Amino acid sequence: MREVAVIGVGQSVFGKFPDRSAASLGGEAVAAALNDCGILPKDIQVAYAARSYDANCTAQAVLKEVGIRALEMINVENACAGGATAFRGVWKEIASGHYDIGIAIGVESMTTSPIAGKLIPPEKDDLEGYLGMNMPGMFGMVARRQMEEHGATVEDFAMVSVKNHHHGCLNPQAQYKKEFTVEEILNSRMICDPITLLMCCPNTDGAAAAILCSMDVARKYTANPIRVVGSALFTGDYKYLQEDICVSPVGIRAAKAAYEMAGLEPKDIDLVEMHDAFANEEILRYEDLMLCEPGEGVQLLRSGATKIGGRIPVNPSGGLLALGHPLSASGVRTVCEVVLHLRGQAGARQTPNAKVGLAHMLGGLVTGLEHGVTAGIHILAR
Amino acid sequence: MANRVPIREGVFREDAGGGTLIGNKCASCGQVYFTKANFCFSCFGKSMEEVALSRRGKLYSYTCCRMTVSHFKPPFFVGLVDLPEGVRVFAPLIVVEDKPFRVGMDMEVVIEELWQENDKQVIGYKYKPV
Repeated sequence: MREVAVIGVGQSVFGKFPDRSAASLGGEAVAAALNDCGILPKDIQVAYAARSYDANCTAQAVLKEVGIRALEMINVENACAGGATAFRGVWKEIASGHYDIGIAIGVESMTTSPIAGKLIPPEKDDLEGYLGMNMPGMFGMVARRQMEEHGATVEDFAMVSVKNHHHGCLNPQAQYKKEFTVEEILNSRMICDPITLLMCCPNTDGAAAAILCSMDVARKYTANPIRVVGSALFTGDYKYLQEDICVSPVGIRAAKAAYEMAGLEPKDIDLVEMHDAFANEEILRYEDLMLCEPGEGVQLLRSGATKIGGRIPVNPSGGLLALGHPLSASGVRTVCEVVLHLRGQAGARQTPNAKVGLAHMLGGLVTGLEHGVTAGIHILAR
Repeated sequence: MANRVPIREGVFREDAGGGTLIGNKCASCGQVYFTKANFCFSCFGKSMEEVALSRRGKLYSYTCCRMTVSHFKPPFFVGLVDLPEGVRVFAPLIVVEDKPFRVGMDMEVVIEELWQENDKQVIGYKYKPV
């Protein structure tokens, strides 16, 4: 396999834009990525686009906005891991030698989707969905177990949200740039106890794009290519095999595969961008990604290590909680954030001297399978 | 209401004890499934026997939902109940006075109305503290 690098990244504005189409948001992200590395639309040879809702030929609709057409375009859907899936798709195309240069796009217009202002609805034959299962409810039940088994408190969950909102204040592209206190998080509206409104990611419209190319070609465009050193994507197993709902077997499997491919250990990672759709979730993922020992996620949080300026900053972008979560865009957006840190271009939220970063996404609820049914992880290095 | 319809056929039955969830079991390796599996996902055995699941189990976790979800109006409780057969069941929970939910408490299955739509009463399974 050939070595692959990220040479261009771009993000649209994140927020609520009911008057803008997915194509418009996606086009903004793609134009930013093209501009970032100075390549021409005609240089793109292959494109993957991810979108969860109301999707039909998303890549084509987005790319026609910026003059990219008449090439192989593939559209994917993998819930919150859709963006990671698109990124991996382009990586595989280039690593295998099918193409030299391609673009991965993630885009979601939540406010114009059929689920605008609603929860993600159950599929028609989803028995648990019709019995009242829902994402915040699932994470409410997970939080209860964290409190029972791992000594977590509601203040810990609030602390994750305080941290990520603080990070969001340092990111000009964040949907929410507002500091909150633990008390404000805890006193916000109860959603699924103990999960409050400010422990949930918002509904967000937005897009992100990343341009990948083979390492030999990358030098033509940039002196600063960021290498993709690890890539893993897996689907979870049957739910009856998930004994502890606080542990993501598929997330651990993807992490191990990505570390092994990169020839790196968790201690080598300088920053992490991850799926923090609910504040309590971030603590679990510390453990899945082996940033600490199993059961010690709460201690890692309390130590301050995962804040900007700490040993291993997690979600310096503000994460899904503050930056926002356009579902399929997030898996590309996390890669973009890691790339900015590895280039030293992350401004006030920069991880000092970052050499290696990890982008994680997890998503999807399917009755009968472990919750968070797809995990996608990429490790990037300068 | 005359027209009682189960949320799904073959998942539970109403009986003298109140109600029972119906799963199945692999004749080869003994793995139990709820809802029923067409074949064993563990050993791929094709011989499956229907089993009536224990009526009682232990509450693994729970939450109170404070927003509308499909047919349920807030506030409503849902939870996960571990049955002795090694099956974890997701279901709505019934609030019983003086028996606040706590992890590990004994729960019992109840068959009752989930919601009404048009002229139908949709029935399904819930759990309540013993």
